Amino acid sequence: MKNAKLWIIVAAVIFIAAIVWCVIIITKPPGEIVTISQDGETLYTLDLSEESDRTITVEYEGRENVIEIKDGRIHMLEADCPDHTCINTGWLEDLPIVCLPNKLVIEFADESGADAVAR
Amino acid sequence: MGRFFVSQAVLLCLAALLTSCGQSEDNQTVDTVSEEENSTSMFAMNTYVTVTAYGNDTEAALSSAEEKIRSLESLWSVTDENSEIYAVNHSGGNPVEVSDETAQLLDFSLQMNERTNGAFDISLYPVLTAWGFTTEEYRVPDDDEITQLLERTGVEKISLDGQTVHVPDDMQIDLGAIGKGYAGDLVAEDLKQNGVKSALIDLGGNIQTVGTKPGGESWSIGIRNPFGEGNFGVLEIGECAVVTSGGYERYFVEDGNTYWHILDPETGKPAQSGIISVLVIGAEGRLCDALSTSLFVMGLDRAANLWRNSDDFEMIIVTSDGGIYITEGIEDDFTLSKNFSQPEVSVIRR
Repeated sequence: MKNAKLWIIVAAVIFIAAIVWCVIIITKPPGEIVTISQDGETLYTLDLSEESDRTITVEYEGRENVIEIKDGRIHMLEADCPDHTCINTGWLEDLPIVCLPNKLVIEFADESGADAVAR
Repeated sequence: MGRFFVSQAVLLCLAALLTSCGQSEDNQTVDTVSEEENSTSMFAMNTYVTVTAYGNDTEAALSSAEEKIRSLESLWSVTDENSEIYAVNHSGGNPVEVSDETAQLLDFSLQMNERTNGAFDISLYPVLTAWGFTTEEYRVPDDDEITQLLERTGVEKISLDGQTVHVPDDMQIDLGAIGKGYAGDLVAEDLKQNGVKSALIDLGGNIQTVGTKPGGESWSIGIRNPFGEGNFGVLEIGECAVVTSGGYERYFVEDGNTYWHILDPETGKPAQSGIISVLVIGAEGRLCDALSTSLFVMGLDRAANLWRNSDDFEMIIVTSDGGIYITEGIEDDFTLSKNFSQPEVSVIRR
């Protein structure tokens, strides 16, 4: 009988842990995981909900891009390309932030909202 | 025996609970239908391309699509010395034999020039270069320079006989305003031939779909807000192409003036038609691509007239003063974003 009680307690603990785990997965807002990749190679995978404010500098053939994370959002702060399309894209939302000259892409890993953006 | 049974049963239930929870997480990424999602991304045709296919065993179809895009890029690149367009532009005025795909695209470009009364023009490359839009070394050419350059343009001076192209010596062509759209058509066709029933092709914001989303749902396409960040609305679509042209895409500012890359073939200067962005939706990517640029040049009234005389496209136009105009065919498929300040949408009717 002692053994049965022990099993029930163990089961209860695992059960509660499982419920807590499920709640965390279900309530976690989508679209927080961001990848930064260059020419097809993933350089960073970041969880914006856990990142503290900071900047990341990425180099490509001697040119630099500075990416800023602030208040759980991410954008291109500086880029030494002539057109600055990536900076003008603003904070990351539905459409990926792309720096063509430096082949750099910042995008959400799990797509949220629209399937694509016409732009 | 009994205790053993209880413990086993409890553990089994927990295992089932844990597994089901894990599964629900997986399903979130592929909607409620268990269709596999595969995608490939690359830098090609001067933009960032992503092809996403749904269904089982789509890897081979995706690599075929990737190859297709690479091969079209190598045919139509204006800077690649081995491309057919480079050969045409450096022919010294002699006829050049091109591939079937290039000939078809050139033929379509000439037809679109006629259909838009000259607003769609593939011969503006020398003028675009003078403004620096091809090299990103931006400058404002003076009126004399533009007048001289415009003499080196004119689609009527180009002739196409089967697969033989003739472009006069001092002229240069560029398929930048139509190539991505045609590539979308050819890639969609290629995916279908390889058995793909559901796919989304994103050529730097030129969207082309194959079928519907798995389960028959429509695709929802966000539309870029021309005045700032984010989207101004969402369009629900089936199998079709969606192409946008906007003043925000490529531009530079000098002495407080904004100069964008969409040039009016008549003036050789950035088109000032009162339009800030045009979205065109239709069955063919090539048509949508060519029209998005030319409707931007034509302005709202001429664009509406062209639409009234056509049955192969619908459009959404945003004017510089914040007006949104949508043709009646897609009225019910469009939802204005709540955070877009302009609440009024005008419907253009036949």
